[in-house]
Amino acid sequence: MAVTIRRLEEFDEVAGFDCGDEPLNNYLRRHAWTNQQKASIGVTYVAMDESAPRTVLGYFTLATSSVPRDRLPKKFVRGLPPYDLPLILLARLAVDKRFSGRRLGHALLSEALKITLRVADEVGCRCIVTDAYPDKAGWYARYGFILLEGAAASGPQRMFLDVRTIRRASSFESSPAKR
Amino acid sequence: MPPAVKEKSKQAAHARPPALPKRTHKTKFQADLAPSEDHMVRALKAELQMSSNSDFLSDALTLFRWAVSERKRGHRIVSESATGERKVLLFPRLERVAPEVTLPHVDIRWTDRELGSLAELVSCQPAEPTEALIRAMRR
Repeated sequence: MAVTIRRLEEFDEVAGFDCGDEPLNNYLRRHAWTNQQKASIGVTYVAMDESAPRTVLGYFTLATSSVPRDRLPKKFVRGLPPYDLPLILLARLAVDKRFSGRRLGHALLSEALKITLRVADEVGCRCIVTDAYPDKAGWYARYGFILLEGAAASGPQRMFLDVRTIRRASSFESSPAKR
Repeated sequence: MPPAVKEKSKQAAHARPPALPKRTHKTKFQADLAPSEDHMVRALKAELQMSSNSDFLSDALTLFRWAVSERKRGHRIVSESATGERKVLLFPRLERVAPEVTLPHVDIRWTDRELGSLAELVSCQPAEPTEALIRAMRR
């Protein structure tokens, strides 16, 4: 299977997508294209097999956001530049369950992080955050996402990954143990 | 003989002997084709009334180069039927050269504790990347 990841297009086949989670299915089927093309509130990237270049195997959605500086606690603000804190929101990430176990999630997250780095280089952003389902928080933690304090006990867990950490990871040519 | 040509001929008489035509270096291109692809190439050559593989490759290259340059500029490649029905060409390799869209901006709801935790993390030294992250960032 040769997977390509690119932006969602209008005529991509999304109706059959099933990741086992109805809100995530529903978002792709009904809202992703409109939100990207008309409302401009999120860009969705899709994974496709080159042999079936319209069938969506997995997707993620990105948007930018920022935290107003005056909302951050004063004791930490002193060390930060006098601007709002720009960040990337990884709003959704899902893989069709028929293709689970093929490291598509890894490929999608990898692409999302590479885009984050490009955005950071081009327009600036400080971190990427995501709201992970509690049973997926461990998966994100493997990539270095850190759980923020204050999340609801049962709902999605807000997680954080510093762009400086991503940049450092991209500078490794081989495993750090070999360096 | 028109004057311009005469003048040229005079100049030529005093000029150095004409240089030998430059030998242009040509690169051989060999490809392994599956039987179906070979059949496709033969059918296309017949349809386009082309006899040589070089001409076929040259035309295909011109078309491909144009498609890449259009997509690089963010243009979509569309075919339109006589009735106005449009189809957009979707070719995964071409999408790699298409420019990125600027990501839209959204507002996120934060609790005070989440903001405190976020501020603490961004104001301290960044964590070292994990093995999984390093693997994810490899090209």
